[in-house]
Amino acid sequence: MILMMVVSCNEPETVVTNFVHPDGSVTRKIEIKSIESDINKRFKTSDLQVPFDSTWRLKDSCEINKKGDTTWVRRAEKEFNNIDEINLAYKSDSGSNKAYSRHAGFKKRFKWFNSEYRFSERIEKILAFGYPVKDFLNNEELLYFYSPESLKQEKENGPDSLKYKALSDSVKNKTDKWTIKNFISEWTGEFSKLTQGKAGQDISRESLKAREAELEQIIAENDKKFDSLWANGVILKKFIGETNALRYKSEADSAMKLAESIIFNDFKDYSLRIVMPGKLIGTNGFSDSSQILLWPVNSDYFLTEPYEMWAESKIPNRWAWIVSGLFLVFVVTGVIIRVIKKG
Amino acid sequence: MTMKPESEKYNKVLNILRNSNPILKSTKDIEKEVIKRISMSKQPGCNLTDVIDFLFGWVYIGWVRRSLVTASVFLVLVFVWQQGVMLKQINFLSRQIIVTGGETVNSPARQVEKLLMRYKSSGRSFPSQSITISEKQMKELLDSVNDLKIKYKDLMNLIEEDPELKKYIENKLIENNRSKIKL
Repeated sequence: MILMMVVSCNEPETVVTNFVHPDGSVTRKIEIKSIESDINKRFKTSDLQVPFDSTWRLKDSCEINKKGDTTWVRRAEKEFNNIDEINLAYKSDSGSNKAYSRHAGFKKRFKWFNSEYRFSERIEKILAFGYPVKDFLNNEELLYFYSPESLKQEKENGPDSLKYKALSDSVKNKTDKWTIKNFISEWTGEFSKLTQGKAGQDISRESLKAREAELEQIIAENDKKFDSLWANGVILKKFIGETNALRYKSEADSAMKLAESIIFNDFKDYSLRIVMPGKLIGTNGFSDSSQILLWPVNSDYFLTEPYEMWAESKIPNRWAWIVSGLFLVFVVTGVIIRVIKKG
Repeated sequence: MTMKPESEKYNKVLNILRNSNPILKSTKDIEKEVIKRISMSKQPGCNLTDVIDFLFGWVYIGWVRRSLVTASVFLVLVFVWQQGVMLKQINFLSRQIIVTGGETVNSPARQVEKLLMRYKSSGRSFPSQSITISEKQMKELLDSVNDLKIKYKDLMNLIEEDPELKKYIENKLIENNRSKIKL
C-alpha cells in the first residue's frame, strides 16, 4: 500500500492527444492529473512523461470527488507546424522519460480518388539482446497484453470474469518467463561484451547464448536466495566455472546492474490518443468512448521491439471524382457516336 | 402497237432536251445564288457537326481511341479497387475493441512490481522517492505479496476444478456488478 501511494503521488496521470491535420500540422493536447497537494511538486516538468515547456497554452483546474479527494488537472495545448517540431521537442525533452528514443512520423500519399494520411509515434526498443514477446504469447494473449488497463479491468469484472482472470494469469506467467529470459539474454550479451578480448571461447557470446537455458535453470532452482547466492559468486561459479567466476566477477556484476537497470527501468507510463483527418482506415490502437484512438504506453511494449502506434485515414478528392466522371462520359459518348455513324 | 410510238416520242423529247443547252444570261449571278443557298441551308447543321467532329474526331484515330478507352477502363478499375479496399478496412475497424472505461492505462500492480524489482536490484534504495521503511518491513511485504500470489493461484485452481463452484462464483460476480451499477 505504501508503495502504491509512492507510485501514485509522484506519477501524474497523463494523456496526450494528437489532432492531426491534412497539411501535416498537429495540435497536441496534454491532460495531466495529479493528486500531489504541494503546488511546487505538482506539475514539475522533470516528472512529466512527455515533452512540455512554457510555450504551451495552459489551463489549470481541480476536481473534487464524492469522498472529498482533490485531483488537480492541467490541460496544455500547442500547435506544431509539422512532425519535425514534435521530434525536436522529444529530442530536447527534460521530463521523466527523456532517456527513451521517441519520434513521430507523418506521411501523405496522393492516390487520385483519395489522399491517404499516416501518423505514427514510435518508441525504440531498449534491450539489445532481448526476445520478442510474440514468441511467448499467442494472439489472444498478445491482444490482452497490449490492452489498456481500463479494458483489462472491465473484462476481469465482466460476465466472463473467470475466463479473463485465467487469461490474465496466463499472460502474467508467460511475461514473467519472458522477463527472466530477457534478463538472462541481456546479462550474457553485456557480460560477453565486457569480457571480449580478455576471456576465452568458453564465455564468448555464442557460447553463453547457447547455455542460457542452463542459467535459467540455476536461477529457478535458487529463486528465493538468488541475491545472496549471486553476491557470494555461487551462481556465477556454477555457470562459468570457478576460475572464470573469480577473474570476471566485476564484469559479471556490472553486466547484472546494467541488465537490471534496463529491464526494471524507470519509464513512467502514459496514454496516447490520435485523432486523424477524414475517415479512419487502419490502426493498431484501441478506440475509446469518444471514438478516439487510444494506446497505453508502457515500457514492456518496447523492451525488446520498437513500439509503433499508428493510424491511417483517407480523405476523398472530390475534384478528382468530378474530373474522372466527365472524362468517362466524354469517352463513352465518343464511342457511342462512332457506333451510330458506323451503323 | 400504241405503246411503241409513245415511247419513241418520249425518247425524242428527251434527246431534244439533252441536246439543247440552256441559255444562261448571267452565270455569275447563278453561281452566287447557288453558293448563297448552299451556305444558308447548311448553317445550323454545320455548327453541330463541326463541334462533334472537333470533340470526337479522335474516335476515327485508332490509337487515340484505344488509349482513351483503356484509360477509362483503368480509372473505373482503380476506383472500384480503392473503394473496395476502403470498405474492407472500415468493416475490419468496425469490429475493433472499444475501451469504455476511460483512458487510465497505468497499472499500479505492474508499477509496484517494477519498483520492487528496482528496490531488490539497486542497492536497496528508491531513486527519486523518499520512503521510510526498513529492510525488514520490505522483506515482510515481499513475502506477503508472494504468499498472496500463491494463495490466489491455489484458489483459482480450486475454482477451475469445480464447475459448480465456478458457476456459483460467476453468478456472485455478476450480482456484485449489478449491485455496483444500482448504487
